[in-house]
Amino acid sequence: MTQEFIDKVSSYLTQDVDIVPISQGAEAIVFSTTTHPYLPKTKGSHEKYIIKYRPPKRYRHPQIDQTLTKHRTLNESRLLAKLYLIPGLYVPQLIACDPYNGFIWLEFLGEDLPGGYGFSNLKNFLWMHDQDPYNDLVAATLRKVGRQIGLLHWNDYCHGDLTSSNIVLVRDGATWAPHLIDFGLGSVSNLVEDKGVDLYVLERAILSTHSKHAEKYNIWIMEGFEEAYNEQGTKGAKKLKEVMKRFQEVRLRGRKRSMLG
Amino acid sequence: MIVSTIPQFPDTKFSLVLFEQVQNAKEIRTRMSELSTSFAFIDPRLICSEEQMYSAVYKTLVEVNYNKMRTRNLNSECVLCLSPTSNISDAFQKFGIKDDSSQLICLKFHTETDRLNKQQLSTVLSSIVKGIEIEFTDDNLSKFYDESLIRKVCLKVKMIGNSHTNNI
Repeated sequence: MTQEFIDKVSSYLTQDVDIVPISQGAEAIVFSTTTHPYLPKTKGSHEKYIIKYRPPKRYRHPQIDQTLTKHRTLNESRLLAKLYLIPGLYVPQLIACDPYNGFIWLEFLGEDLPGGYGFSNLKNFLWMHDQDPYNDLVAATLRKVGRQIGLLHWNDYCHGDLTSSNIVLVRDGATWAPHLIDFGLGSVSNLVEDKGVDLYVLERAILSTHSKHAEKYNIWIMEGFEEAYNEQGTKGAKKLKEVMKRFQEVRLRGRKRSMLG
Repeated sequence: MIVSTIPQFPDTKFSLVLFEQVQNAKEIRTRMSELSTSFAFIDPRLICSEEQMYSAVYKTLVEVNYNKMRTRNLNSECVLCLSPTSNISDAFQKFGIKDDSSQLICLKFHTETDRLNKQQLSTVLSSIVKGIEIEFTDDNLSKFYDESLIRKVCLKVKMIGNSHTNNI
C-alpha cells in the first residue's frame, strides 16, 4: 500500500527529486528531500525540505476526493503562510503548494537528538530527559511551548491536533525553540471552545505519553501560555480568563460537547 | 541571461533576462499584442528576489499542467501567478511594465518544439529592448525593487511589523 504511494509520488516528482519517506498519518505521508521545488541556486546544497502528500482515498468518490484534497491542502497552506508572518510565532515556512495533487513543500525543521533518542520533537525530548525531568532546560522549553500556543490563540488561530510530536524543537544555541507543525486540522477561530479543546488535547497527550511527570509539565506549559496572554495587557488578561474558564469546563466534560436536549 | 528548468517539469525550459536603463518601454507596450505571444515583460519594482520569480514560474507550471490555463499563454500566465489576486487585467497592469519603466525583466518559456538558442534569443531581445542587459541575480534585483509598492500591491492588510523580512 505505502509502496504504491511512494511510487506515485516519485513519478509525480520525476527522478530529479529525491525522496525519503519519514512518517505516515491517516491523511498524509511526509517525505524529506534535498531538492528545492524551484530555486536553482540551492542545487548541490545539503539543505533539506519537507514534502507533505495527501494521497487519494479510494473509498471516496474520485471527484469528491479531489475537491476535499484540494481544500485541505489549500487550507493548511494558507494558514501556514499567515502564521509565518506573526512576529514571535514559529512555524515552518511554506515553500510551495500544489493543491490539485495534494502536495505541500515546507522548510525542514529539527534534527536528531543526541544519544539515539530520535527526532527532536517534544515527545522525544521529554523522554530524553526522563531521568532528570525537573531541570531548568525542560522547564524553560515547556514554558516556551506554552508561549507559542498562547501566541497562536491570541491571534485567533487554533491548531486542532496539539500533541507532543507535533511540536518540533529547533536548536537555538544551548536552548531549544519550539515550532508548531502540522496544521492539517488547523483553523481560524475566535471561539473559546476551540482554544479550550486545543489545551485539553495537549494536556491529555502529555498525560498519556509522559504520565510520570505530566503534572509538572502541564503546569509549565500553562505558565508560558498565560505569559503570552498577559503580555497583551488588560485585554489579554481578560481573554485569558475566558479561555481558562472554558478549559476547565472542557476538562470536566471531555473534548466532545454533549448534544443532549 | 538565465536559462533554467523546474526539477518537477524537466521538459519546460524558461529564460530570464534583466534589463536596466531601458529607453523604449512605451514602444514595447504599444507592441505588446504582437510580442506577448513570445515574451512577458515584468516590472522589477515589484520583484524583490529570485525566489519570488521562480516560485511564480513553478506555480505557472503547476496551474497549467494540473489545473487549467487562465490566460493566452505560459508567459502571460506567469504574470498572473505573480499576482496575489486572480484578477487577470489587474495582474497585467500591476506586474507588467509601465510607459515610464526604465528596468524590465523579460521572461520566456520555451516549449519542446521551439529550439532554444541563447545567441538567437539575445539578438531578438536586443532588437526589441533598448537597454543594457544585466545579470538576473538577487543583488541586481535588490537595486530596483520598491518595498512600499510591494506592500501596497501584495499585502492589502497592513502588517504590524514583520519579524521575517525575507518573506515579503
